[in-house]
Amino acid sequence: MTKVEYWVKMPFGPIHPGLEEPEKFILTLDGERIVDVDVKLGYNLRGIQWIALRRNYVQIMYLAERMCGICSFSHNHTYTRAVEEAAEIEVPERAEYIRVIVGELERIHSHLLNLGVLAHDIGYDTVLHLTWLAREKVMDTLEAVAGNRVNYSMVTIGGVRRDIDKKKRRIILDMIKYYKGVFPQIEEVFLHDPTIEARFRDTAVISRRVAIEQGAVGPTGRGSGIRDDARWSERLGVYPDLGIKPVMPQDVTGERPRGDVFDRMAVRIGELWQSLELIEHALDGMPDGKIKVFSKDNILVAKLRIMVDGEGVGRYEAPRGELIHYVRGKKGSDKPLRWKPREPTFPNLFAVAEGVKGDQVADFVVAVASIDPCLSCTDRVAIVEDGRKRILTERDLLKASIKKTREINPEVKGDPSPLGVTCSR
Amino acid sequence: MGMNVMSNIVYPVAGLLGLYGFVSLASLLWEGIDRKLVARMQRRVGPPLIQPFYDFLKLLSKETIVPNTANYMFRAAPVLALATAIALLAYTPMGFSPILASKGDVIVFIYLLALISFFKIVGAISSGSPYAKIGAAREATIMVSREPAMMLAIFAIMWRLGKLGVTKPFSLGIFYRHNIWEIGTPMSFVGAIILLYVFAVWLASEIEVGFFNIPDAEEEIAEGLLVEYSGRYLALLKLTKALKAYIAASLVVAIFFPWGIASYCNLTGLSAGIVNLLFHTLKVFVLLFVVDSVFRTVTGRLKITQAVDFLWKNVFLASLVGSLLIAMEVIM
Repeated sequence: MTKVEYWVKMPFGPIHPGLEEPEKFILTLDGERIVDVDVKLGYNLRGIQWIALRRNYVQIMYLAERMCGICSFSHNHTYTRAVEEAAEIEVPERAEYIRVIVGELERIHSHLLNLGVLAHDIGYDTVLHLTWLAREKVMDTLEAVAGNRVNYSMVTIGGVRRDIDKKKRRIILDMIKYYKGVFPQIEEVFLHDPTIEARFRDTAVISRRVAIEQGAVGPTGRGSGIRDDARWSERLGVYPDLGIKPVMPQDVTGERPRGDVFDRMAVRIGELWQSLELIEHALDGMPDGKIKVFSKDNILVAKLRIMVDGEGVGRYEAPRGELIHYVRGKKGSDKPLRWKPREPTFPNLFAVAEGVKGDQVADFVVAVASIDPCLSCTDRVAIVEDGRKRILTERDLLKASIKKTREINPEVKGDPSPLGVTCSR
Repeated sequence: MGMNVMSNIVYPVAGLLGLYGFVSLASLLWEGIDRKLVARMQRRVGPPLIQPFYDFLKLLSKETIVPNTANYMFRAAPVLALATAIALLAYTPMGFSPILASKGDVIVFIYLLALISFFKIVGAISSGSPYAKIGAAREATIMVSREPAMMLAIFAIMWRLGKLGVTKPFSLGIFYRHNIWEIGTPMSFVGAIILLYVFAVWLASEIEVGFFNIPDAEEEIAEGLLVEYSGRYLALLKLTKALKAYIAASLVVAIFFPWGIASYCNLTGLSAGIVNLLFHTLKVFVLLFVVDSVFRTVTGRLKITQAVDFLWKNVFLASLVGSLLIAMEVIM
């Protein structure tokens, strides 16, 4: 007699309280056990690359910054590096130090955010609120340093926009002092709390082999035992002088990496300490001097028109993993011919979809949160229908949305045509 | 004849309606207090104390959406669940013997308490949502795991108290004549402490907080059982949940902390009942503070397998040991 299996397919998302962003998974379930996961991307597509091809190099910096609310510095920084490579621009050393400081501040805020989300996903809201309370300090510091809590606009092609003076330095040192008191508490609760251990240990295990096959990067890759960090392996900027090395789970937990949610979380906790250290070293070792090559943006636009010829690749270890921006330009044009960012979430998402098979439904949301997915960065246009590729423009998407709205509610009133001047079509 | 109608029908019904009104207000107020206290423990400001009342009234005025896939039980279940909770009030010890106290009312009590969960499960399954079905499966699993420990303990306690000389040992009114601490031997004292732990965990799993917030897991299955409910039906289910928390806590209070203050104030009759009810409510709030507010502040939710493991391997065993300890000298 053959065994009958009652498998159920359940949509998880695009709108779900456990997910921060619209993303969809089709779970095949056998009771509570996850048999298969199908990842559906594309619910947060905004056509960023399409928009970018109608902008010049400087305008794309603002666009890149707004791809994502959390790693806004990383995108801007990586894009800038790509253009600098294409244009062969030498960045002043002081600017590199300031980039390190802002980048590490961003890493602290991103990791604290993710730790809070992880706690929230197992219903441990106290830890969520206390972690996010601690996060306020770094947000305030970022605001004091860059003038903004989210989109810092610190980086420009050929340097940084704002200097870190004595006053800002004092604010950052204050923050370091505050976190030296708070991080031990965070470490205590995340590494030693019984509920957290029960839920995170041996959950969504991504083996080293799967991690390599799927190309997992960042804390997801390091949690599975891949010793890689773009800041370290690429000898990026001044990072080698500051003593960068990849944080592995065994440095934090003292055990062999198992590749589970707990290990990924432990890597993040280790990186919080590492970021504090890097900021301290960078503040101490920061040389005097210029902070940018070109004094004004209009000069920059004019210079880039003649300087960029060929292609450049920027690589940076964003909080979620290695981020790559590719830029190709032609002499005489102030617009790039091609700009392509590759987000760390993309490989990580497939790695974790593989890793969560065999676990329970309850583990799924924890597993997804453990790679700290950033879908607004990841979603790119890709429509393949009957083997033919078709590119949807903003106008087509608008038409489709109007059609759907009319379908749902035929009595809808109002003019659906866009107000004011939008992107040139 | 006239007197019989008065004492058999009119008084109990009036008492039940009065209790229903009072417990609805008290249990919703507790939810407000709980939310405020938890917020303060999490260093938040928290909603105003009467937020649950606002929520309830708002939900009553909202549109009620019924999914196409739902059948008639989806609509009937919230009403039946609330009706069961109201009926349960007549069998709940609240500082005095239950209104409809009888020979074996403890069985009715346990039965009706499980029936509330049962109606919630039926309603969820009838909605046709896969999330609700997972929630229903979890609720059923956790229900069969939590009840044996409680039932074993409560029958052991009542049987033991019956040996102290009462006519109806399996009536919930027994706790107001003899209580568990009166047995007196050191062994029974230890047993009572262990059983207090058992009942605290049972209460937490009954009201589904902390470790046991599994059937209604918001982040995993979008509030599971409640996922398709909205408007009036959701309001009824929320009220049922609040009533259930009060009722389940009342049982634990009656077993372990039954003392009233009316006799110290030389009160009798109705006024004694009211004073005892208020004092009982205070005790319920204190118990819920520990089991609900503090517990859900310091824990997260477990997986269903871990929760079932915990309820059988830890709580049921504790219940077995505790029951043996308090029954020991009678058996031997």
